[in-house]
Amino acid sequence: MSVKPTANPKDDASKASEPKPFVGPEDLGGFDPAKALGEPGSFPYTRGPHRTMYRDRLWTMRQFAGFGSADDTNKRFKYLLDHGQTGLSTAFDLPTLMGRDSDDPLALGEVGRCGVAIASLADMRRLFDGIDLGSVSTSMTINAPAAILLAFYAAVGQEQGVPLEKLRGTLQNDILKEFHAQNEYVFPPVPSVKLVVDTIEFCTKHMPQWNTVSVSGYHIREAGATAAEELAFTLADGIAYTEESIERGLDVDDFAPRLSFFFDVHNDFFEEIAKLRAARRIWAHVMRDRFKAKNERSRLLRTHCQTAGVSLTEQQPMNNLVRVAYQAMAGVLGGTQSLHTNSMDETLALPSEKAAKLALRTQQILAYETNVTQTVDPLAGSYFVEKLTNEIEAKAYAIFDQIDAMGGVLKAIDRGYFRRCIAESAQAEQKQIDAGEKKVVGVTDFVENGPPEIDILQITQDTENEQVARMKALKASRDKTRHENALRDLRETARRGDNVMPALIQAAKADATVGEMMETMKGVFGAYDGGPEW
Amino acid sequence: MVANTTQLPEGANRVKDTPPCRAPRVLLAKIGLDGHDRGVKVLARSFRDAGIEVIYTGLWQTCEATMHAALQEDVDVVGVSLLSAAHMTVMPELLRLRKELGIEQIPLVLGGIVPEADKPALEKMGIAAVFNPGSAVDDIVDEIKRLADTHKLADAVQLKEGYKKRDVRALAKLVTALQQGQDLDGWQPPKGKAKILGVTGAPGVGKSSFIGKLGAVLRERGKRVAVVAIDPSSPLTGGALLGDRLRMMGGKPDEGFFVRSLSSGGSAGGLAPQTPDVIRVLDGFGFDVILVETVGAGQSDVGIRELVDETVLLLMPDSGDSVQFSKAGIMEIASCFVLNKCDLSGADATEAQLISAVGEGRPLWKVSTIRNEGLDAVADWVAAR
Repeated sequence: MSVKPTANPKDDASKASEPKPFVGPEDLGGFDPAKALGEPGSFPYTRGPHRTMYRDRLWTMRQFAGFGSADDTNKRFKYLLDHGQTGLSTAFDLPTLMGRDSDDPLALGEVGRCGVAIASLADMRRLFDGIDLGSVSTSMTINAPAAILLAFYAAVGQEQGVPLEKLRGTLQNDILKEFHAQNEYVFPPVPSVKLVVDTIEFCTKHMPQWNTVSVSGYHIREAGATAAEELAFTLADGIAYTEESIERGLDVDDFAPRLSFFFDVHNDFFEEIAKLRAARRIWAHVMRDRFKAKNERSRLLRTHCQTAGVSLTEQQPMNNLVRVAYQAMAGVLGGTQSLHTNSMDETLALPSEKAAKLALRTQQILAYETNVTQTVDPLAGSYFVEKLTNEIEAKAYAIFDQIDAMGGVLKAIDRGYFRRCIAESAQAEQKQIDAGEKKVVGVTDFVENGPPEIDILQITQDTENEQVARMKALKASRDKTRHENALRDLRETARRGDNVMPALIQAAKADATVGEMMETMKGVFGAYDGGPEW
Repeated sequence: MVANTTQLPEGANRVKDTPPCRAPRVLLAKIGLDGHDRGVKVLARSFRDAGIEVIYTGLWQTCEATMHAALQEDVDVVGVSLLSAAHMTVMPELLRLRKELGIEQIPLVLGGIVPEADKPALEKMGIAAVFNPGSAVDDIVDEIKRLADTHKLADAVQLKEGYKKRDVRALAKLVTALQQGQDLDGWQPPKGKAKILGVTGAPGVGKSSFIGKLGAVLRERGKRVAVVAIDPSSPLTGGALLGDRLRMMGGKPDEGFFVRSLSSGGSAGGLAPQTPDVIRVLDGFGFDVILVETVGAGQSDVGIRELVDETVLLLMPDSGDSVQFSKAGIMEIASCFVLNKCDLSGADATEAQLISAVGEGRPLWKVSTIRNEGLDAVADWVAAR
């Protein structure tokens, strides 16, 4: 009895009917790993994007950090670099993420809380004070105002004497998943994607070492999607950016090598490994067959992974160390190129220095002590893992068909498709937990009473007050004519439909703030109300 | 097995026969810029499934707008979701506003990432309950229902007095009293002079956003505007997700823009059973325009016609629905058409389709609520009626 991969996208592997106690060759439905898999570093890259993987080069240990003022985060960056971290990753506070200034009324109580407040070129300058932008790579988790933050970074690089083509890093810049899941959108979908394509075009021409978009499933999964939905929605978003960039007149092989991905690694160990393997295989086929990409680097899916914040519990927070360790191993066995391991205290507050260090140590133990780095894709040929890989791949293709039938990602957003799927999956999971079908250690079972016994980081209100004072001082002291001219130029550029990047860099240099540049563009692009589904 | 429980009696009768058993009303709010809404969405749906009417005000609300919404909706509990660590700033501000607005009887609960150390302070300042990630949904539901029970019916005499004095709190409570079938000794509101417009259309065409934007334009022209927004309720549990309001939340709260969300209570025709009474009370209160948004049910929506002076039908470009509509009764009763979302492609084609389907006798406007375009023309028409 051969089992064909199920094609029902709502049917998550973790919720499938009673799993078989063991899986054998008959479960592969004619799929022969010896023939179909290929080798690591060869099409379709199921086994990994590189031939030798971690034997030659470990994954990048990239811990996301940012809190308080630019000076606070600058200190944390230097601390992490001193402790062996190999890339910087910037978390911005909510006002910055939403493209608002620190003194905006809606920013009340949120300045510097969940990340660092960067509202002007001056803030960005202090963030990287004493750090040579020519020798680090910097990842910036920013979306709606991504083009503006890139403009700040480019301007700081130029001030340090580092030419644009030498700047290395990654912009998350994935606005589509904001409409699906994370809600940090500002403009409507069409002009939002236009801005993303502006950055892709600008970087392709002027910042060739910059990874322009980190197409992200992480937030989709954290908001409640199943693994299959995460995989399919993310790759569908990648397809949408590719289509729009080609539409702009770019050659797929000029920009696709600089698209990267970002997935969640959740608790279901083998399913997560299968997801990453399937992601590479699907993307390789999509780029070769759908977009006719000839450059091998266009077909390689390179990904960052982060352990699942949503799986962490406030109860018995030390347990989170163990969850993170297993999830990290799944990410590595799945062949990730970089990894963030969550700190155990993230459901309580921003990570304390001690918890952040333990999270990094978790990766170091994995890299240097467990020997999992010595054999590339060690689970290849496992009946179970190959079956899971095929199944999740089939589900993803079924979801692609649904999206294509709606007319693509942008049309599906107009219909509220992604939000509805994600909310339904989130509620289904909650029902499983409430019904006792899904256990959470320390929460549903093995419960202990009493408050958690770990110290947490406290951000004082002083941070906000100081940042607001700095904003006001900046606004009072800048060259008014230069500032007004720069914003007018930005408005006219946006109206003409031209690439806004050069105008944003000029506005950054004229000390225009994030909020001012966003408002200027809102006047042209409009503001989005969230679509039909909430 | 379930046949009897799904069979609901006529809405009006049910309300009158069993006065105090209406579903608890809970306002769920996210305040500030924090977009983490997984928890609040799961809870909204779980509350509905537990028989609660949920009014969700959406993302990015201010403290002020949230408490004004609580006042207008006359909810039994306000639940705030904060994952931004701003609770020690936001919660005191909400409590201050609650006092200022004179709605201290409404319990305020908080859910989100709240360190244990902050909990005693929150309780001391007057937060009724704090829930954390990992709190069991059933426990949250039980606590919400317990808190909702403490919210008592208002005294009928006081309500009528307050209403006469144009006290918005009294108006909000009178609507509740009508919903609950509270005995008002045959009281009838005075006849007002409001223009009453029905706004209908298929799900997803943007009725609520349109009403929010049209309301704002009418407010700029000095008109006092009331909105009755109706969403379906679950025939199984009586609970409902009332999400229309979130499209109408402007920046600053405004006494001249009164929004009340109602559940359809299982009635056919897309209208809540008490809608006629609610409209009369709003009319008598002195609003200039009353906009009634109905369940976007298409054909069955013709019930709205009996209650309103004019019916506005919303459509959107490129939707097969617009063609479907030409067969439906709603097309015939519409006084005018609004083609919303004209920022999307296909607007001109749909406009042409529509004109060929209905002729040119009735007004048709192209609107984009996202870009704030086309609303002035609609407002002119409203003013001229």
